[in-house]
Amino acid sequence: MKNTENIPENKNHYIERFTKAWAIFIKNPMGKTGLIILLVFMLMAIASFFVPLLGPVYHPMTGADPNITYSTGPSFQHWLGTDFIGRDLFVQLLEGAKVAFIVGLSCAFISVVLGTAIGMISGYAGGIIDTLLMRVADIFMVLPSLVILLILASLWELSIWVIIFIIAIMRWPSVSRIIRSQTLSLKSRPFIEASRVAGASNFRIIFKHIMPNVLPLAFLYMTFRVTSAILVEAALSFLGFGDPGQVSWGMMLQWVWSSGHMFQAPYWLLPPGICISLLTLSFYMLGRAMDEVLDPRLRKEEEV
Amino acid sequence: MTEEQNIQTPIIELNGVTKEYSSKKSFLSKAGTSIIALNNISLAIQKKEIFGLVGQSGSGKTTIGRILVKLEQPTKGIIKLNGKPANSLKGKALENYRSKVQMIFQDPYQSLNPHLSIAETILEPLVVNKIGNAVTRREKVIETLEIVGLSPGQEFYHRYPHQLSGGQRQRVAVARAIILDPEFIVADEPTSMMDATIAIQLFQLLLDIRKKFKMTFLFITHNLAAARFLCDRIAVIHNGVIVETGSAEMVIKDPQHAYTKKLILAQPGFNFKN
Amino acid sequence: MALLSVENLSVGYKSKNGLINAVNNISFSIEQGRSLGFVGESGCGKTTLGMTLMGLLPENASILKGDIFFNDHNLARFNDEQWRRFRGKETAMIFQAAMNALNPVIRVDEQIAEVIEIHNPLMSKTEIYTQVKKMFDLVEIPENRLRDFPHQYSGGMKQRAIIAMALACMPRLIIADEPTTALDVIVQDQILKEIKKIQKALNTSIIFISHDIAVVADVCKDICVMYGGHIVEKGTREEVFKSPRHPYTKALLGSYLSLDSEENIKVPEMRDSPDLITTTGVCMFANNCNCKSQDCKNKTPGWVNLSSTHQALCFEEVLNKDKND
Repeated sequence: MKNTENIPENKNHYIERFTKAWAIFIKNPMGKTGLIILLVFMLMAIASFFVPLLGPVYHPMTGADPNITYSTGPSFQHWLGTDFIGRDLFVQLLEGAKVAFIVGLSCAFISVVLGTAIGMISGYAGGIIDTLLMRVADIFMVLPSLVILLILASLWELSIWVIIFIIAIMRWPSVSRIIRSQTLSLKSRPFIEASRVAGASNFRIIFKHIMPNVLPLAFLYMTFRVTSAILVEAALSFLGFGDPGQVSWGMMLQWVWSSGHMFQAPYWLLPPGICISLLTLSFYMLGRAMDEVLDPRLRKEEEV
Repeated sequence: MTEEQNIQTPIIELNGVTKEYSSKKSFLSKAGTSIIALNNISLAIQKKEIFGLVGQSGSGKTTIGRILVKLEQPTKGIIKLNGKPANSLKGKALENYRSKVQMIFQDPYQSLNPHLSIAETILEPLVVNKIGNAVTRREKVIETLEIVGLSPGQEFYHRYPHQLSGGQRQRVAVARAIILDPEFIVADEPTSMMDATIAIQLFQLLLDIRKKFKMTFLFITHNLAAARFLCDRIAVIHNGVIVETGSAEMVIKDPQHAYTKKLILAQPGFNFKN
Repeated sequence: MALLSVENLSVGYKSKNGLINAVNNISFSIEQGRSLGFVGESGCGKTTLGMTLMGLLPENASILKGDIFFNDHNLARFNDEQWRRFRGKETAMIFQAAMNALNPVIRVDEQIAEVIEIHNPLMSKTEIYTQVKKMFDLVEIPENRLRDFPHQYSGGMKQRAIIAMALACMPRLIIADEPTTALDVIVQDQILKEIKKIQKALNTSIIFISHDIAVVADVCKDICVMYGGHIVEKGTREEVFKSPRHPYTKALLGSYLSLDSEENIKVPEMRDSPDLITTTGVCMFANNCNCKSQDCKNKTPGWVNLSSTHQALCFEEVLNKDKND
């Protein structure tokens, strides 16, 4: 009887890999800056849940200050001022951060999950399945997503979740292309062949052997997808086709413009504009820093 | 008839196996060119022997190994396992074949999934063939680890490939190959990436395993001396054709084919005359 | 006077976990026209040594101490500019993956001509191409293949072209780092013959680095065995290979498979590769050695003279005990 009880556990593998990757990541000034900016926005998004509790005045959509009926500049009561019907701009900005996160992350998540699954299947299966899936990907890739969204939004009133879903559907092809090429190179690697010789099914090979190897790449692409989703949603809202029941940064800009305050109220115009730029920039910086973590040349140096 | 089968049925038989690689027909060149990797290969491997396949790079020796473990299909010819044709197996029959024929790959840095622990890697054949339960599998893995010289097995159980040396990794690959108790193992240059002092220990391990479990090996190598050390019989392959087959002693002491002679002459040796 | 003499050379790599002592306190010298072989297994420091002698150390590596004298120059103190002028003219290197050292879009003869031109700017075009022809003649590449592109050459021919390139400026020392490792046995045999012939014909010195003891024994008259960054045994090839004394040399020879006999095969018990970061002041081989002497793990072994040319880095009692076995 073999002693199978006292096997020293070694659960540190993923922790160890994470700490290693983290060390490279945090050394990168871009990664560090991006992370700090991102943390600030996260705090803003979290704060958006609590601020309305202060009173009905601080509700981003309906909380118009009864004493103010026109746009005012920053004051003690309204840190960034109010919009043309007396709603607090700071509260709207916080709400916008929350929406930007929801839009960015859910879009990125849906498109990356979809893209990764399709990319792995396409690359692994090859042949006719590969050709078909990639042609579909090509078709989606050349569709102008903003124009299509505009047309759809002008026909129906789209809720924020429908918008998220449509953006995600338009964005998976580029992810699936990358994952497919990675899968192609993995497919012929000896450890995949060894698993096949052992009798593993295709399903098992894809999920047990290929997926852990493409996940880091998928994760990287997720950060880039976040950026583009936030920008598309902002553009849509600014053009007046966003979810009318939802405050977002794009919507704030739309209100500045439609209420004719474009050149009169910099305290209203600038914050949402700066926030959109900074948030997308921070995700982009995170992506670049992660790129460095995943760069095989850098990793090799690490192993020496 | 039955008596003849008892004595003669080789465990593995290749009959007139030919493998052609053709470049895809494109629409400019309709014919498409083809390269003949293996040309009419016939060989029979008897039970419990270590059969050496010696050849230089590009000779087609690895292709034979890959055909035997069903990673590739021959263009022509017949493969037999225990006298039964095994060319186009599917489903259950293929599963059955794979549990009997295993492979040790050349590069232990490439043949182990870096994301799986040693236990997960060795467990895989048991899991996919649905053998045993969690407890018996665990015992079997530890037992196998100790057979391949990674003892105490408990200590290696939860490690990851990057925590092992090249020699230890190849032992893990050996453990994965033998855990199903296969009848036949293809070892494709298992030591070509290793230092001599480590390689000889792996050879010793393969010899021990053969003795203990009565397994049959096909040992693919470019090194004639290694084949001589390990193998009972040797086939020399050159440009996709087997040019000579015989007992290891005979092939080296008394080579018949011009290519074998050339190969033996080219071996660097310790002659200090010049 | 020796052509090249290396004294107490140590080379280290900076790494996350500390300084890796890849080459540790190595001394040797080589005379004009001699051939010196370095043999050892992965991680023994032989490639780092070759790189050091060519001034090609990577950025995270540096010479920690010691001198490298070549004629009157101390190569250990050279700067980049001095190396550039020195490399290729006085010494040349044949690399492990030499096949990749040829530019695929330039004709072979032009690549070799370029090397000559760089180091001899005053030479005329005709002189240069006469020299190129001479080199190709020496490595036995037929004249009608001179104007080929590298991809038209076989692996063996590429390696010959690389040797021709190394010889182009008639260097006095050639450093060959595993020049035949990627080649098939038959081609390897031809290249080794070529190297020996050229060495004799031009009276060049050769430092030959390989993991394959038979290849080193074939080419070199003097041998250094390396382990864990140290030279552990040196002597003529007859001394080192016929009557090895250091336990590691014995293990290396014991695991060498030849076509002749199996009698000398002794499967060694080697597990640990030496830790080049933390191990200091003891014998690097102690963990794998079967001598089981207490000294090995506490003291630094010194050089024991076995003959005027044969030395081993070990303890006298271990060497004597082993001899009696």
